[in-house]
Amino acid sequence: MTALLTVKNLKFKRKVRKNWWQKAEKFVIGPINFELNAGETLAIIGDNGSGKSTLANLLAGVVTPSSGQLLLNGQKLRHRNLKQRSLNIRMIFQHSKESLNPALTVGTILDEPLKLNTNLDARERKEKISTTLRQVGLLREHAHFYRHMLSDGQRQRVVLARALILNPQVIVADEPFAALDPSVRSQMVNLLMRLQRELGLSYIFISHNLGIVRHISDRVLVLQNGKVIESGKTDVVFNWPKSDYMKKLLTAHQSLVLSKLLD
Amino acid sequence: MPLLDIKNLTLEIDTAGGRVKALDKVNLTIDESEIRALVGESGSGKSLIVKSIVGAINDSWTLTADRLNWKGSDLLAMSKEQRRKITKDDIAVIFQNPVSSLDPTASLGEQLEENIPDHLVGKGWFWQRQEKRKQIVSRQLHKVGIKNHELCLSSFPHQISDDVCQKFMIAMALVSEPKLLIADEPTMGMETTIKSQILKLLSRLNQNRNLSILFVSHDLLAISSMCHSMTVLYCGQTVESGRMTNLRKRPLHPYTKALLDSAPSFSKDLLPKSNLSALDGTIPTLQHLPIGCRLGPRCPRAQKECVKIPAPRHIHNHYYSCHFPLHRPLK
Amino acid sequence: MLKSNLYQEEQFPSPLRQTWYEFRKSHLAFIGLCILASITLIVILGPFVTPYSPLTQNTDALLVPPAWDGNGGISHVLGTDGLGRDVLTRVIHGSRVTFGISVFLVLVAMLIGVLIGAFAGMNTGMRSSILNHLLDSMMAIPTLLIAIIIVAILGPGLVNSMWAITLALIPQFIHYTRDFVRTEVNKEYVIAARLDGASPARIFVFSLLPNMVEMLVVQGTLALSIAILDISALGFLNLGVQSPYAELGAMLSEGLDIAYIAPWSIAAPGAAIFIAIISINVVGDGLRSALRNRLKY
Repeated sequence: MTALLTVKNLKFKRKVRKNWWQKAEKFVIGPINFELNAGETLAIIGDNGSGKSTLANLLAGVVTPSSGQLLLNGQKLRHRNLKQRSLNIRMIFQHSKESLNPALTVGTILDEPLKLNTNLDARERKEKISTTLRQVGLLREHAHFYRHMLSDGQRQRVVLARALILNPQVIVADEPFAALDPSVRSQMVNLLMRLQRELGLSYIFISHNLGIVRHISDRVLVLQNGKVIESGKTDVVFNWPKSDYMKKLLTAHQSLVLSKLLD
Repeated sequence: MPLLDIKNLTLEIDTAGGRVKALDKVNLTIDESEIRALVGESGSGKSLIVKSIVGAINDSWTLTADRLNWKGSDLLAMSKEQRRKITKDDIAVIFQNPVSSLDPTASLGEQLEENIPDHLVGKGWFWQRQEKRKQIVSRQLHKVGIKNHELCLSSFPHQISDDVCQKFMIAMALVSEPKLLIADEPTMGMETTIKSQILKLLSRLNQNRNLSILFVSHDLLAISSMCHSMTVLYCGQTVESGRMTNLRKRPLHPYTKALLDSAPSFSKDLLPKSNLSALDGTIPTLQHLPIGCRLGPRCPRAQKECVKIPAPRHIHNHYYSCHFPLHRPLK
Repeated sequence: MLKSNLYQEEQFPSPLRQTWYEFRKSHLAFIGLCILASITLIVILGPFVTPYSPLTQNTDALLVPPAWDGNGGISHVLGTDGLGRDVLTRVIHGSRVTFGISVFLVLVAMLIGVLIGAFAGMNTGMRSSILNHLLDSMMAIPTLLIAIIIVAILGPGLVNSMWAITLALIPQFIHYTRDFVRTEVNKEYVIAARLDGASPARIFVFSLLPNMVEMLVVQGTLALSIAILDISALGFLNLGVQSPYAELGAMLSEGLDIAYIAPWSIAAPGAAIFIAIISINVVGDGLRSALRNRLKY
């Protein structure tokens, strides 16, 4: 069986120049290789600055990689072709507030991807918007709302609706829970898992909440300084970590969970 | 006698929709050398409580309290000068975002030296005092675990990493040797390893220096790992408070239970990918607070009586405000 | 009190409506808006109502004082000028030229400025910075000075002065649009639109422009008061509208010679300019503070 998404030798280089007389510093990610099966959740963990957000951006097409390729069902995804990509891979950003346009209603925001990527007429689009809104646990009336009228949790649902509306196969989520309060976060986690069961979605998601990573992911990818230092099944990585970084991370996490901070 | 004793603190704010009780009869006590957690989600009024304690509230807000005592003396009855003296000498606050609460144009050393109270420096010629200041500063930094103090002191806030910066903030808060440290979401957005370092530091300070800490956060993992007791807030109402171990073992209020359940790390027998138990609905905004118990519309155990504000009840030291607590079966 | 609204539902106003609520709270700004509206109404309807033509000279009624004066009459409410032309008629016709042309010029300048500004904002690198620095240095020079220089090259006349003022107003629109686009273009909602497959032009029109409306309204009112001042200043210096056509600035300079005998002939156009500019500025100020207050919530 071929994997749904195959990432081969994906590399990204960026030169960071502080002053024009200084030598440019290079920031390199990769080469990154992994495979993602349908209905699977892959979690990416790592330090700040380890390149996990950039990796998410690479996958979603926000930035173009320097080399390497992405294969979807064995078919190559061209980096510049956002239309092709947006039908298959969609992204959810960390700040739900910033990722919704303040001057547009939810309905207009959801309408845009449909207008650009499908041939539906106005009535069908409206129908699709209301079914998608209901799918993520909102009401059809929310289409008339503006960003500032919604709470954090509702906004995150709208963002999810925008991702879902094109029936993608993969959703890339960059810290989708970080800005949410605990009681709302659980709702969101449940919603994502329910959608995965119902629609067979694959998720690639970035988080530094190890508890949630452990709970919802099937496989884990650990990044450090732009390199994959460990990857494997969640169970295996969490119980028998190989890299020093992961060991340290898990000890810190365990010390929090078991309240043995000073031992 | 508790260090800080707050009883029935009510804070009313005028909004476009009329007067709203942003804090409604909040109770909070902090004992000597205790780490007390104040848990609540956004909009629960955590930071308003912090502001009320240090007296930094807006003049247009109305604050009433049956008791707002600092070591037995009423803070509300004090003159402004007396109150400022207490907040200056005995209470220190550290904030969520360390980099933005430092002056970007001054080096860290200058900022820390400025914070040293005069009586610690003592008398002497100006070069002697300067020498003394330097000593205090480096001692302070060693205490919070910053080893390379020379480098740290000469750098500017944007040049150091987040965790060093937060440690530095703690050092700065502790230089005046306060009795109470209020930590307002000090580990928000930090990674697990750094977070556990900061938390270790705080609990070590608590043990070695007898420092009381009010730890304000919504990160239950951090709280349960270091706090002795905890007060849970929801929308400006105290929902439950008591010893950490009791609360974790047997929460009595549905909201506390929901909060504890929201961290999957706590429940070991949870199957991967199984549903987490969650409360329905969202946190109401200040303009749309429900009457009575504010959890009412979201609470799975809510009944008719919940439109009345439940009176605080207690089992030993475990206080809760709920008509239908979890240890009583529903009718 | 019995409310018709049974489920005490609170309406969430849209951003524009919210701005309007905030704006209405300030009485001064609201009065300014009323005055501005009535000026617009007079300018549009005035010429159909006035009994005189602004150009007909009447040798029987030279220098008639206003109606409230003992020697004045109700037939000429604001009196007549040295050639016997009715001052009220001329002020209405003059405002039409000054006010109408200013609005037109601001709209044209806004259109061009926003287009160039959007181009500069969405692009990076050399093209953008050339546009930026070149035009920003233009902003250091007062618009009136630029307009005078342009008129000096092209020669006086209404059309030339219109060109001059439009060109002088464009840089500020470019500057503000570019700044706005620059700050917004990296926000996540724009990236999201880009991921939807939207082209840069589409992103600008559908994602950025709706957010820009308020900024444009505020900048537009400021530019409008500048344009009115510039047009009347050029008219006053005999560089803009040429006599005998009515224009507020030109009327001022004509009346200057007989200011001691007939003060009303300069008071009327002067007051018209004054009221127009002050009401525009008050409205602009009110809008700006309404926008600022709106963001607080």
